[in-house]
Amino acid sequence: MENMDLESKSVHRDFVLPVDSEDKATKFRVYSVSAPHMRAFHLSWISFFACFVSTFAAPPLVPIIRDNLDLTATDIGNAGIAAVSGAVFGRIAMGIACDLFGSRLASSALILLTAPAVFLTSIANSAVSFLLVRFFTGFSLATFVSTQFWMSSMFSAKVVGTANGIAGGWGNLGGGATQLIMPLVFSLIHKIGATPFTAWRIAFFIPALFQALSAYAVFFFGQDMPDGDYAKLHKSGEKHKDNISDVLYHAVTNYRGWILALTYGYCFGVELTVDNIIAQYFFDRFNVNLHTAGIIAASFGLANLFSRPGGGTLSDIMAKRFGMRGRLWALWIMQTLGGLLCVLLGKVESLSGSIAVMLVFSVFCQAACGLTFGVVPFVSRRSLGIISGMTGGGGNIGAVLTQVIFFRGTRYSTETGITYMGIMIICCTLPIMFIYFPQWGGMFYGPSSKGLTEEDYYMKEWSLKEKENGFHQSSMKFAGNSTSERGKKVESAPTPIDGTPNT
Amino acid sequence: MATISDIFVVTTIVFSCFEITAYGALFSSLHQTLILNSSTSQGQVLQAGEEQVTITWSLNKNYPTGTDSNYKIVKVKLCYAPMSQLDRGWRKSNDNLNKDKTCQFNVVTKPYKPSNNNFTWTIEKDVPSASYFIRAYVYDYVGEVVAFGQTTDSHKKTNLFQITAITGRHVAINVCAACFSAFSVISLIGFYLVEKRKGKSLRR
Repeated sequence: MENMDLESKSVHRDFVLPVDSEDKATKFRVYSVSAPHMRAFHLSWISFFACFVSTFAAPPLVPIIRDNLDLTATDIGNAGIAAVSGAVFGRIAMGIACDLFGSRLASSALILLTAPAVFLTSIANSAVSFLLVRFFTGFSLATFVSTQFWMSSMFSAKVVGTANGIAGGWGNLGGGATQLIMPLVFSLIHKIGATPFTAWRIAFFIPALFQALSAYAVFFFGQDMPDGDYAKLHKSGEKHKDNISDVLYHAVTNYRGWILALTYGYCFGVELTVDNIIAQYFFDRFNVNLHTAGIIAASFGLANLFSRPGGGTLSDIMAKRFGMRGRLWALWIMQTLGGLLCVLLGKVESLSGSIAVMLVFSVFCQAACGLTFGVVPFVSRRSLGIISGMTGGGGNIGAVLTQVIFFRGTRYSTETGITYMGIMIICCTLPIMFIYFPQWGGMFYGPSSKGLTEEDYYMKEWSLKEKENGFHQSSMKFAGNSTSERGKKVESAPTPIDGTPNT
Repeated sequence: MATISDIFVVTTIVFSCFEITAYGALFSSLHQTLILNSSTSQGQVLQAGEEQVTITWSLNKNYPTGTDSNYKIVKVKLCYAPMSQLDRGWRKSNDNLNKDKTCQFNVVTKPYKPSNNNFTWTIEKDVPSASYFIRAYVYDYVGEVVAFGQTTDSHKKTNLFQITAITGRHVAINVCAACFSAFSVISLIGFYLVEKRKGKSLRR
């Protein structure tokens, strides 16, 4: 059973999409629901969307909730910070869980465990209980990591940026959609005859049920990898059941993961911050009514429909021509431009100007998120889950930090806070210049003259003993498939893989 | 592209909203010509949805005759006391009456009469828990505010009363929330056991 001959090991299934040697799809067809690749895509973005809807279901109804629960502005601010802080550790934990148990079990378990927090929001009766339900509901945002991990398991290097970008973007859409959905559900229930203080409570059952149902769908229809679930692959010996301390070690000692965690805090973290403060900003500074402020707030999040996927696709396009160096340059440029637009947003004095700048800013900010996850899948193969988790967690830390420094209390006016946030974005994006892959190069340096290959880079994560046992096989396959990150100038190097892709 | 039509829609809505935020009457320019009395006593606590407040008002005879010549309509409102406005920017007082958020609940609107005005109001179910006083604004034939009266002093410190809001919770909601939450967790445990059994059967 320890025979590592690739030909005899797995039954090569006929996949609808063209696949590479790891059975990862090399093409991305958004209208298809074919198992396992596109089905995994749709399950992951829908369940992530449901979690975003639940996490940001409270803000549009806050005008009613704050009267029912007698909340102060400080209470509301603290609850908003709590909503995004739970996922900091949740995302890292989810990264570990994905590496060990696979995305299907990890995400459906988390979603079902956080669904009670959403159900129980309907019986909150004080500032403390409100903060607690928002805190625990926020843990569900850790599904982001399982989404990215799942896409990185199902799609090959050439399309992973696109897959990650669309899955992440359409999931993030939930943060915008909820600003439209919840008020609608509320007014419907209110019209049927419930008083406002009861109607908002009933309204919360909608996102809660949606979330629970999406978890069931993931559990029953999802599959961890193209060739099967972790449990099955572990048993058949195809996938080695890794041990947690090694996986953790290789994630934590890879400096690129830390840099990306920081920079993600200043695209995604900024996006979460803006989700929490932008309606209030337009309401207070320009005196639009709450309904209008909600529409403006929604449009910021709704830009995710195309902007984050656009970032992912841009990453893949740059990689085709310029390889990994192109991905890094694109990320730095887009995120820095986002920072400049943020500085501008705080300075614009007119309403229509602010809306215009905000919309352009949202595109650059969200594209940077998509571009980040065009780079993440290549940082580590063995510890992909934890690296994804660290980056994702870093995003939430950025949100917490930014809200605490600039948007709490009366130290800075909101517009000053926004400008300073823009400056912080520009500064915290500079570390991308320090990311260097010996086999592909970095922003300012080409690949190492020593001729190090992808194999050398990914095999560094496995000890000699582990290699003797053949645990490194999937990393080897990945190394071979990632030679496309060298860009077009270099002829495809000889790969160590002999499996032929199915068509 | 979604962005462009977004900007279009929002800009149109926004420009139509501009009229609402135009310059309005200043509260400090109004005369307190009405005497307003309510059935509540200082510090009394009332339950929303159940208890009632009786308000009476009349013109202050100390003002010269003819002061009320252009008075047409009286709007009585429930207003937040300063302690309930603390750290709550959405209840902030503003001298510009178009931006003022002190009085957010309408009690009654009646045509103006110099005396013999009273109204018994059952506190609505969407009134939050807070400290309140009652204020009445008087409008002229054009719809402009011309005068007011209130049950408290100019510093809004005396004769305040409390209202306790309804919780909005019902037994049915409590039960459903608890049941669905329990079901989510139990089904997860069920899935875990199914997966474990599948794992065992694979080993055989």
